[in-house]
Amino acid sequence: MATEEKKQEILEKLKNAVIQYDEDASKEAAEEALKEGLEANDAIFNGLVSGMEEVGRLFEAQEYFVPELLMCADALYVGLDILKPHVSQLDLGVKGSVVIGTVEGDVHDIGKNIVKMMFDVAGFEVYDLGKDVPLDKFIEEQIKTDSDLVCLSAMMTTTMVGMKKVIDDLKAKNPDIKIMIGGAPVSQDIAEKWGADGYSADANNALKDAINMISSLKKMKDEAEQNKA
Amino acid sequence: MTEQTMTSRDRVLKLFAKEDIDRPPCFSGMGNVTAEGLKKFGYKFAAVHSDAKMMADSAASSYKLFGFECAVVPFDLCVEAEALGCDINVYSHLEDILYPTIKTKLVNTEDEMDISIPSDLASRGRIPMMKEVIGLLKDDVGSEVAIGAHVLGPFTLAGQVMELNTLLKLSFKKPDKIGKLLDMLADALIVIAKEYEDAGADYITVREMGATSDVLSPRVFKNLILPYLKKIFAALSKNSVIHICGKTNDIAGFMVESGADAISVDQKNDVVETRKKIGNDALLFGNYDPYNVLVSGTTDQVRETMKGCMDSGVNAVWPGCDIWPTVPPENFHAMMDEVKKYRR
Repeated sequence: MATEEKKQEILEKLKNAVIQYDEDASKEAAEEALKEGLEANDAIFNGLVSGMEEVGRLFEAQEYFVPELLMCADALYVGLDILKPHVSQLDLGVKGSVVIGTVEGDVHDIGKNIVKMMFDVAGFEVYDLGKDVPLDKFIEEQIKTDSDLVCLSAMMTTTMVGMKKVIDDLKAKNPDIKIMIGGAPVSQDIAEKWGADGYSADANNALKDAINMISSLKKMKDEAEQNKA
Repeated sequence: MTEQTMTSRDRVLKLFAKEDIDRPPCFSGMGNVTAEGLKKFGYKFAAVHSDAKMMADSAASSYKLFGFECAVVPFDLCVEAEALGCDINVYSHLEDILYPTIKTKLVNTEDEMDISIPSDLASRGRIPMMKEVIGLLKDDVGSEVAIGAHVLGPFTLAGQVMELNTLLKLSFKKPDKIGKLLDMLADALIVIAKEYEDAGADYITVREMGATSDVLSPRVFKNLILPYLKKIFAALSKNSVIHICGKTNDIAGFMVESGADAISVDQKNDVVETRKKIGNDALLFGNYDPYNVLVSGTTDQVRETMKGCMDSGVNAVWPGCDIWPTVPPENFHAMMDEVKKYRR
């Protein structure tokens, strides 16, 4: 088992690898984390995710833009792919399965992929339908997978209106379903009018929302561990 | 001249020429076909993109039905990429209004970037048809309204022909390589825009929304995008507009520097700030929200918004994007009425 000092050093390396979009450093640090016996969950949340949190701040401060965000995400995935097989399952009492996609007529998927990444990090089962997805497909997939969360993305005003139909259909079939909508033209007003449970206007907001979501999962996890101890 | 004697065409052309006009015109450089206009002819939206007469009829209908002060084509953003060899999807299987998208990209990875402009570009895809449409519009409404056409900006076109993730990352990692691509695409856009000018378009709008500050830093915009926008505007001979949506306050100065006759921004831009930055001489078009105000707002909200645009100093009342076709007729009429009765 690594000393506390060594552990902090590795977490810092993971964090910086994400912030500095350094895929090689991310690989190296993730491997080191496993070698030194760090808990994979710990390395993901306190290393990779905490790096992504800082990326979100840099994006908000307009020091980082979408290209940097994409490169940071690549670095995160390199570390995540190494660490994930070693995550010990922990029952959080949350059924983590989500259907996600960009609606038909829209071929933009950057925001959607950022949100997907955070679900991956949180250990959700992610059913990614991709982009330009026919509206009925969301409903089919939700029923097939019995997911309790559906995320719809639209980058353009011209395709956003299709989301309302999916929300209506999903809610009619399953009133308990939670629906998040995202994309540049989406607003609080539209989310409320159309009956969506949450919304994100851009990749950064999506990132922040997703981080908030997994932070609360992490808190639950920590509490569960404390209770265990 | 009074409202009765000055045609919409005069008003728009005089605006570009920076001559005195009675009021700001209410027009656009982007798509503005409405569901009402399509209904008038019984046209399906998916069908109008590939038929010259149908496109011309639809494009003239916002003027004929509501007095909108222009006729603009095309309605979709795929003409250039299609001419360069991409396949497009017009969603003809759907009754809903969906805009065509690119089905297949020319470039997916970095090592596929070695593409070239076809020597017969001007006769490929729908470009000959676009010229025919512009001719039909000139005959139909050309003495009453200005005819506009739009092309993409080089970076936005790169996003159509190339996998977007790859483009964005390489813009950062290998700007020289992307610069070479943008230079080539700028040449292609010049060929296309000149065809439109020759066919009779009175003004060309270059839509470079992919380079908005929501996506790219102002620094990258200045270093990587601006040189090729300058190249395009230097080559155009008629009136020109540069349009970028989203966050644009930090790049508004660069937009003016591009050499376009006017800059167009959307509702996210603080136009009072922009005016301070670019001075009174530069033409600034904008900046109402074409969906959340024009389509889903009340007539009072529409009027307030148009008045707000004019009070904050735009030279033309102009939407932040394409006008979404399902705009209620009463909202369109309210917009036109508010602009027509406005006096500074």
